[in-house]
Amino acid sequence: MINMLILGSTYALLGIGLTLIFGIMRVVNFAHGELYAFGAYFVYFIAVLLGFNFFLSLLISIVAGGILGALIEVILLRPMRGADIDTTMLIMIGAMIVMQNTEQYIWGGVAKSVSTPFPEMPLVIGPFSVSWLRLFVFFAALALIAAAYFLINRTKLGKAMRATFQDRDTASLMGVNIQAIYMATFAIGSSLAAAAGALLGPVYVVSPQMGNIASLKAFAIVILGGLGSIGGATIGGFILAFAEEMGAGYVSSGYRDAMGFLLIIAVLLFKPTGLFARSERIG
Amino acid sequence: MLEISDLVCCYGKVEAIKGISLSIKQGQLVALIGANGAGKSTTLRSISGILPASSGRVVLEGQDITRCSAREILARGIAHCPEGRRVFPDMTVEENLDMGAYLRRDSAEVAEDRDRVLTQFPRLAERRSQVAGTLSGGEQQMLAIGRAIMSKPKLMMFDEPSLGLAPNIVEQVFEIIDGIRKSGTTILMVEQNAYAALDMCDYAYLMEAGSIVLSGRGSELIDDKHIREAYLGG
Repeated sequence: MINMLILGSTYALLGIGLTLIFGIMRVVNFAHGELYAFGAYFVYFIAVLLGFNFFLSLLISIVAGGILGALIEVILLRPMRGADIDTTMLIMIGAMIVMQNTEQYIWGGVAKSVSTPFPEMPLVIGPFSVSWLRLFVFFAALALIAAAYFLINRTKLGKAMRATFQDRDTASLMGVNIQAIYMATFAIGSSLAAAAGALLGPVYVVSPQMGNIASLKAFAIVILGGLGSIGGATIGGFILAFAEEMGAGYVSSGYRDAMGFLLIIAVLLFKPTGLFARSERIG
Repeated sequence: MLEISDLVCCYGKVEAIKGISLSIKQGQLVALIGANGAGKSTTLRSISGILPASSGRVVLEGQDITRCSAREILARGIAHCPEGRRVFPDMTVEENLDMGAYLRRDSAEVAEDRDRVLTQFPRLAERRSQVAGTLSGGEQQMLAIGRAIMSKPKLMMFDEPSLGLAPNIVEQVFEIIDGIRKSGTTILMVEQNAYAALDMCDYAYLMEAGSIVLSGRGSELIDDKHIREAYLGG
């Protein structure tokens, strides 16, 4: 149960990032999972290898994810503005391959683990016991989801992002700098993915392949919730985690990752716009 | 105030505007009339910087703005109220008005102006927290006009403000536009309803197939034989 909440909250972070990028920029970000892996590796790098404080490392990783995202946007996507959605998709697949192989080249194929300052002894409340780390991950993820909501719904940048999503030409008539909004969107989406990786990395292990399955799951979440819907992505994240835990618990743990995809097939068959999408919207 | 000379605009290889020239004086209401596809909307899109001009010049108060971005042009005081209203459907009435003031930094005055717009359009005030997509066509047009007012423009451009509205609402919209002119804002209006446009404007240009074929004071054009036959139904 606790496991489900932890997974769900980090899945939601992944999903929100991806749905923002797709909703506003119409870019299918195949490198999303790699930004997740980047977040995990970056925590490993500065917390374990450089010996920084664990919490500070998390924060730096999230910021670094955002910077990497902004760079990807400016270098790879900006020159292709107006290109076909298939073209940008191919570019992002290329970026994914490069990033994954760079990770493998630098860190090798062996999985790494990140130690944390939390006590080994779990917190025991009645019949339940939960590790401090997992508890922290859950609340940190919730805080980031709340921050993303606040950013999108309450700030001027968020308003401009939503306006761009709803009507790009009219947004530019209002004086919105569309290029800057695209860069900010990609940076924010990327930093949320990096945050998910930075939080989950210490819970599991960090390996170059971790991005693959994360990408697939992020797509699953976005499809579940409806493209461009942040609320949908949040709920989609929890539904996916729930389905996985149920599948692992009651069917077979070997089918854990398959459960999510069964769910998507069902959603696409019966409600192809996603579970929560009125129509396409953001916010 | 605004001088356009030999403006050419293309969609791909098709010339939508074939070198037009027009001028608007401070405080005037200038109408641009003509049939569907004559290039009226394209002219406005080009002035406001969404559609780059292929050649020609657009000069606002002595400064060349032909190559400026939409953002810079708005900052220099031209607001564009686009065809089909184009309010942000999933944002509330208030958020839409705030988007109109996106470039302004004086937040206290923005709040005052927003209240003033809401007082001017009581229908919008009643619906201030409602998302714009749920408003009626007339209300959306009021919102689009209010949003353009929020940028405090010197020149406001209206693209087909009466399109798709009920006749009594159309009358209201024209009264609002006339009110904006009386408050001192210069106006360039594209309108298919040639009679109404000629009746209220100071000066008018007639566009056909990407060129300006006729121009004159509204009262003169209303009596013009060609216009009577082609646009006013004899």
